[in-house]
Amino acid sequence: MIAAFNSTSQIMRQVIVALILGIGAAYTFFGWGIIVQIVLAVLVAIVVEAGFLKIRKHPIKPSIADGSAVLTGFLLAISIPSIAPWWVIVVGVSFAIIFGKQLYGGLGNNPFNPAMLGYAFLLISYPLQMTTWAGEFVNFSQALDVIFNLNPVDALSGATRLDDVKTQLALGKMMSELNAHSNAQAWINMGFLLGGLYLLARRVIFWHIPSAFLLGIAVSAFLLSIGGSEYYLPVQNHLMLGGTMLGAFFIATDPVTASTTPKGRLIYGFLMGVLVVVIRSFGGYPDGVAFAVLLMNIMVPLIDYYTQPKVFGK
Amino acid sequence: MASYTFKGGIHIPNPYPVKEPEVRQVAPPEQAVLLLQQRVGGEASPCVKIGDRVLTGQVIAKTTSKYPTHVHASVSGVISAIEKRPIPHPSGIEAMCIVIDSDGKDEWIEIEKCDKDFSRCTPEKVIQRIREAGIVGMGGAGFPTHAKISNAQGTHTLIVNATECEPGIMCDDALMQHYPREVIRGAEVLMHACGAKKAIIAIEDDKQEACNSLLMYNFNDQIDVVQIPTKYTSGAEKLLIKTLLDIEIPAGEFASDHGVLCQNIGTVKAIYDAVIDNKPLISRIVTVTGSAVQEPRNYEARLGTSFAAVVAQSNPNNNPHHIRMGGMMMGIDVPNVEHSICKITNCIFVNNVIPAPEVQSCIRCGQCNTVCPVGLLPQQLFWYAKSENTDRAMDYNLGACIECRCCDVVCPSHIPLAQYFFFAKALHHKRTVDQQRTDMARERFEFKEFRIERNKKERAEMMAKKKEELKKKMAQDKTQKDKIAQAAARVKNKESSER
Repeated sequence: MIAAFNSTSQIMRQVIVALILGIGAAYTFFGWGIIVQIVLAVLVAIVVEAGFLKIRKHPIKPSIADGSAVLTGFLLAISIPSIAPWWVIVVGVSFAIIFGKQLYGGLGNNPFNPAMLGYAFLLISYPLQMTTWAGEFVNFSQALDVIFNLNPVDALSGATRLDDVKTQLALGKMMSELNAHSNAQAWINMGFLLGGLYLLARRVIFWHIPSAFLLGIAVSAFLLSIGGSEYYLPVQNHLMLGGTMLGAFFIATDPVTASTTPKGRLIYGFLMGVLVVVIRSFGGYPDGVAFAVLLMNIMVPLIDYYTQPKVFGK
Repeated sequence: MASYTFKGGIHIPNPYPVKEPEVRQVAPPEQAVLLLQQRVGGEASPCVKIGDRVLTGQVIAKTTSKYPTHVHASVSGVISAIEKRPIPHPSGIEAMCIVIDSDGKDEWIEIEKCDKDFSRCTPEKVIQRIREAGIVGMGGAGFPTHAKISNAQGTHTLIVNATECEPGIMCDDALMQHYPREVIRGAEVLMHACGAKKAIIAIEDDKQEACNSLLMYNFNDQIDVVQIPTKYTSGAEKLLIKTLLDIEIPAGEFASDHGVLCQNIGTVKAIYDAVIDNKPLISRIVTVTGSAVQEPRNYEARLGTSFAAVVAQSNPNNNPHHIRMGGMMMGIDVPNVEHSICKITNCIFVNNVIPAPEVQSCIRCGQCNTVCPVGLLPQQLFWYAKSENTDRAMDYNLGACIECRCCDVVCPSHIPLAQYFFFAKALHHKRTVDQQRTDMARERFEFKEFRIERNKKERAEMMAKKKEELKKKMAQDKTQKDKIAQAAARVKNKESSER
C-alpha cells in the first residue's frame, strides 16, 4: 500500500552484498581461505542461532530470515586471518551469537556488536592463531589443508603490515626505514570503501558514523605524525591498512549497537576513530578497530541521552 | 523568514491518482442516518419525534452547551428512528442517530433571505450563523468551528489549510477546482469573523490546477495563495504555522495564543455556504479510493448517505475489503461499509485485504528519527513504551508525538510504533490519574489521622481543663463547706455558751 522502504532483511542482505568487493579483493591477494571461512561461519551462525532460539522457545524462522546471524558470520569470517584453523571461527561465531546476541534477548537488544565481541574474544584467547595471516595466494586445496589441519602449511603464513610495522618500531626502527604500504591491504580497504559508498547510496547507512570515524582517525593520526613522524604511522597508512574501511562502513554502522541521534553518531564515530589510532599506536595489539567499537558501544546510552534532538515546541 | 518547509516528514505519492479530480454529485439517499455525537461536548438532543415530517435543512437536534452544534436534516422525509447505530470508530461503538426515510422530493425549508454583504454583520453575528449551520472542522478533526473562531479573537493571520497532505485524499483538491470563488469569499468571511488582516491559503505543490483556479478568483491582496513542498504532515496545524510564519508554538499552547487561526479549506467553503447563502452544512465532498476500487473519484454526498452507496459508484471488486475512513496514515479502520457519511468523512479507502507484514525486532536503524516531524527518537520511545516505562518515555518527550505514523511507514521491521506510543500515552495518563487519586487518598487519610490525633489532644486538653476547673471548684466548695462548718460550729458554740 505504501511505497516500499527497506525491510530489515533487505538491509542485512544489502550489507552482505556490499561486502563482495572487499571479499573479492581479499580473495585476489590471499586466495580461498576467506571463502572457506565465510562458508563455515555462515553455517555455524545459522545452526547456533537456530539451536539457541529453540532453547529459548522462540520462533526460529523469522530470526534466521532477518539475516542478522548470517551477517555476523560474514563479518567475523572477514575479520579473522583467512588461514586460521576451523575451530577458531566455530568458537568465535558461537560466542558472538550466544554471548553477543542471544543472551541479551536476540536481535536489537544487544549492547555490543556481536561480531566484534567474537573477534575480541578470539584475539584474547588465541593470539597465535589470530595473528597468523596468509602471506600469499592460497589455492582451494591448500586452504582446506591449512584450515582443517590436514596438513599444516607454515610456509603460507605472514604478518599483516600493521603487525609488521608495530614489531619493527618496537625494535627501534624509524618510520622512514619501513615500508608501511601494503598493496593487498590498500585494495581490500578500497573494496570495502566502495561497498560502503554503495550502502550510503542505497540509504542503508547514514553518512555520519563513517565520515566521523574516518575523520577521527585522520585527525588523531595527523596530530601524532606532527609530534613524531618517525614513530607513528602516517595518516594515509592508517586509513588504508587493517580494518579501517571495514570498520568505518560495516562495523561502526551496526545500527543496533551504534548511537542513533544525528549528533550522537558524529561523536560516536569520531571518538571511535581516535580510539583506533590510540590503540594502534600505544596499545599491545596491532589493530584496534574491534576494541574501539566495543568501548564506544558502552558509551552509546550516555551519548544518546545527551544528544537528543530538539523537539518541536519544547 | 518562513522556510516553507519543515524537518522530517515523508513524501508519499498519491497511490491511486486520477487525472482530474472531478466531483460527482450523489443523489440524496433513500435513508439518511445522522449522527448526534460530536467531537467534543456530548450529543445534541433531538427536537423531532418518530413520524415527524422534516424538510431538508431543518434543525432536527439542538444543543444549548458551548461546543456541540445543531444537526440538520439532509433530506426531506419522515423520521423513522431515533436509536443507537454503529458509528465510524475503530471500536465499532454505537451512538445515537436520527434516521430519516426520504420522500424523494428533497424539499428545502424556506431559507431566510440574508444580507449577502457580511461586512455589515458583526463578527459575533457571523460566528452565530456558523454555529447555527452546524459547521465543524472538516479536515477530519471535527472540532466545532464557531468555538475555534471565538477562541481566536485578536488573530493577525488566518491560515487556510488546503495542504491535504495525507496521500490518497483528493476532496480538497477537487473542492478548490470546483468552488474557487466560494473558497476565496469564505476566507474573506472568516477574516472578518476573526479580525485577521492577512490570510494565507497553503497548498501542496502537487496541486497545480487547484492553485491556478484559486489564483484566478483571488482579487484580494490580503489573501496569499502559497505553495509548499508536498510532504506528509505538512498539514499538521503547528507544523504548518511553523512552515508559513516561522512561529513555533510551544508545547501546551495553542495557535490562538499566538494570533493565528487555522481552518481547513472544506470548512471555509462550508462557512461561505452558511454566511452568504444561509445554508446549513448538509453535504460534503468525499474521496473514494483504494486498491479495491477501479475508479477512484470524489463525490459530493449528503450527510447520512451510507458508505456503501458511494463506494458502489466507484466499481469496487468483489473481494473482501478493508475499509478505512480518513487518510491512509491517520484514518481509522471501520469494520464494513454499513456506516454513514458524517461531517468529518473526507475519504473512504476501500482496499483489498492483504496480510500485514511480519513484525521484526527493532534494529535501532534510526530511520524513524529522520522522518519524525517533531524531532522525536521513536526507537528510544519504542524501547520505553514496550517496557511500559512511561516516566522515561515522557523524559524523551512522548507527549509531543502527533501520531502521524511517519515512523511506522519507514520502519524496516514493520513495527506499529505509533500504536505503541498511543498506548504508552494512555498508560501514562492512567498512571498520572491513578497517582493523583492515590495522592489524594493518602492526603485524606493522613488528614484523618491528624484530625483524630488533634481531636484526641483537644479533648484531652479540654478534659484536663475541666478537671482543673472541677478541682478548683471543689477546692472552692471545700472552703465554702469549711466556712459553713465553721459558721455552724460557731453557732453551736454560741448556742452552747448561751445555754
